[in-house]
Amino acid sequence: MLKFLKTGLLATGFVAAATAAYAADVGEGEKVFRKCAACHSVGEGAKSRVGPQLNDVFGRQAGEIDGFKYSAAMVAAGEAGVVWDEQTLTQFLVKPRDFVSGTKMAFAGLRKSADVANVIEYLKTFDSKMAGTVGQDEASDEEVQTAMADETPPAVAQDHAPDHDGAFGLGRVATEDEVAAWDIDVRPDGLGLPVGKGNVTDGEVLFTDNCAVCHGDFGEGVGRWPVLAGGQDTLTDSRPVKTIGSYWPYLSTVYDYVKRAMPFGNARSLSDDDVYAITAYLLYLNDVVDDEEFELSNENFTDMHLPNEGNFIPDDRLQEAHYANKAEPCMTDCKPGPVEITMRAQVLDVTPDSDDDSAGGQID
Amino acid sequence: MSDKTKETLDKTAASRRRFLQAGLAGGAVLAGASAARAAGDPLITEIQDWNRYLGDGVDAAPYGSPSEFEAHVVRRDVPWLTADPVSSVNFTPLHELDGIITPNGLCFERHHGGTAIISPAEHRLMINGLVDTPLVFTMQDLMRFPRENRVYFLECAANSGMEWRGSQLNGCQFTHGMVHCVVYTGVPLKYLLEEAGVKTNGKWVLAEGADASAMTRSIPIEKALDDCLVAFKMNGEALRPEQGYPVRLVVPGWEGNMWVKWLRRLEIGDEPWAQREETSKYTDLLEDGKARRHTWQMEVKSVITSPSPQAPIAHGRGPTVISGLAWSGGGRIKRVDVSLDGGRNWQEARVDGPSLPKALHRFYYDFNWDGSELLLQSRAVDEDGYIQPTKNELRAARGSNSIYHNNGIQTWYVKADGVVENVEVS
Repeated sequence: MLKFLKTGLLATGFVAAATAAYAADVGEGEKVFRKCAACHSVGEGAKSRVGPQLNDVFGRQAGEIDGFKYSAAMVAAGEAGVVWDEQTLTQFLVKPRDFVSGTKMAFAGLRKSADVANVIEYLKTFDSKMAGTVGQDEASDEEVQTAMADETPPAVAQDHAPDHDGAFGLGRVATEDEVAAWDIDVRPDGLGLPVGKGNVTDGEVLFTDNCAVCHGDFGEGVGRWPVLAGGQDTLTDSRPVKTIGSYWPYLSTVYDYVKRAMPFGNARSLSDDDVYAITAYLLYLNDVVDDEEFELSNENFTDMHLPNEGNFIPDDRLQEAHYANKAEPCMTDCKPGPVEITMRAQVLDVTPDSDDDSAGGQID
Repeated sequence: MSDKTKETLDKTAASRRRFLQAGLAGGAVLAGASAARAAGDPLITEIQDWNRYLGDGVDAAPYGSPSEFEAHVVRRDVPWLTADPVSSVNFTPLHELDGIITPNGLCFERHHGGTAIISPAEHRLMINGLVDTPLVFTMQDLMRFPRENRVYFLECAANSGMEWRGSQLNGCQFTHGMVHCVVYTGVPLKYLLEEAGVKTNGKWVLAEGADASAMTRSIPIEKALDDCLVAFKMNGEALRPEQGYPVRLVVPGWEGNMWVKWLRRLEIGDEPWAQREETSKYTDLLEDGKARRHTWQMEVKSVITSPSPQAPIAHGRGPTVISGLAWSGGGRIKRVDVSLDGGRNWQEARVDGPSLPKALHRFYYDFNWDGSELLLQSRAVDEDGYIQPTKNELRAARGSNSIYHNNGIQTWYVKADGVVENVEVS
């Protein structure tokens, strides 16, 4: 990595001088490109062949085209921050294997600086971002610096000027907008609730559109997706149904979770008022409210209590008999008589197929 | 099956045919085994392809993979467990592994909104809430704090959860495979929190992930300042994407769900947040309808990984190695006992390899199998003196609907032919 950077930096001075000395010519570049065309294509419908296609190469990270089999070295260069622009392409085209040691590109390099500048100018004509800029001087130095900034060793990064009093002075002060953008959590005491409101009727429409596909129209759950309503008085049954109404202790969890993670696969797409409305509808589905006109807001939110709130207890596992008794474990004749099998997994037969081919098929 | 594997198998078959033909041509009339003994093992007496032809050069696999003959050693899922593979779990193939370190590619996966793909250059970690200064760190900033290397197990609280009602899944990959153990490189969480300055009323930390579930858990400040790490390496290399690349929280000895992956925010507060994963999930329903919450620590546990249903005894009677894992969220494992008769009589097993706090321990029991049926069990004791309970002791205390924290003693029934089954015993 470091070696790579040094080479790059050393070459920069030479390259800058080289590009400045010639006025690039698209027509000449087209001729030069014939050397490249055996492997690379450009223009409409260009496809990667022996080498990757070169439309829109500017701004592309090295080794980035999906499906093209780059050398590991080219992929590594891209991951190390090499982005193709006038400067990096120039360095590469002069001596490809010096710039990316291990590249598959067999081409030795363009000895004439003019050829390099011209072929780059030609490639620009196949770049949608650069349309209309061909022939004009590019302020590319800044781009190069930006592209390399991430990989610059800390020692030569910007001076370390802490903006806070921490022991290390690392990181920077978060802005209010940044904190507001991420700090969306809501606590049972209402801390974090945004100003807003929504009613059961609106919530039903939103729920039908956004949630029912997995949770069912009435929160009954589709397939193995979570059941959200019902299940009251089942917690001591052999098959308890744990829902918002039967199990969850706090309504704040519903608001918080819907806002941060729902709908599944399209998180953060609901407005604050939408989330209030959906939460109100879930209260209705769970019989906590029975008025279809009920409106939930940041004003009345903490007045709402879920039925099972009082049934959560602290962790008291260590008071269980098998833990509280720390005696030396029994070693001999610990059970009276021979041990009997009381249950067998084979009878249920729910273990996934252990056939080797199906196991192999799961690697991707 | 890869083309290469097929090719190799074809070659093997071909040389087997050659051997058989040679035997027939030579007029051998003895049974196969004795013929081989008389002539010698063809794997020795014949020159093999790998002994004659050149193999791949050094760059054939710039990032190496396991041998093609190990293609069956993979994570597996149980499709019926969850609604969708995006919010699901798969299992570490414990029955194929040894030692205490889990290879990165075999560490079980559990995520709630799929694997987030995040460039380290675009990742940010924020600390806000009850702090003197809310801060934002880049990955580069994190790499400038002093680092530590620590080996820890990570166990999902629901590991063995399918076994609460009785023996169900036939394979320790499925019954116990939601655990892995790697060496983490990271920055003590304490350094980051101190950098922001925790206010005196800051008693809880909310850890939040950057994935599509924006996973959140509340962690008491004592734990956060004790041994938690903000880790960016596992087993020496960058975290795997499915393990939270570029950075995750490490909460040693505590349930895996708290080890927030793709860690993007740490908020300090004076109360816990009662997030979804600490109310509707990861609370332990008891028989009387009450539910325990904040059951963070993973209890003392062990399992025999081989023999086990996916790793039967194939060699017949004679010298036999029983291999297993033991661990405790409370610290080190003091000892492990093994029973061959379903828990009636016990012998102390041999713990081999490093004994590190809150890490997997490897134990062995070496014995001469006489070919009779066995009911194998293992029982761990941790350094605090807590003894791994039986499943029935746990059910007596909690009922069968806790889902989480099932650390009961596992029984494997070994039949005379070496086939192994998951059973429960009296």
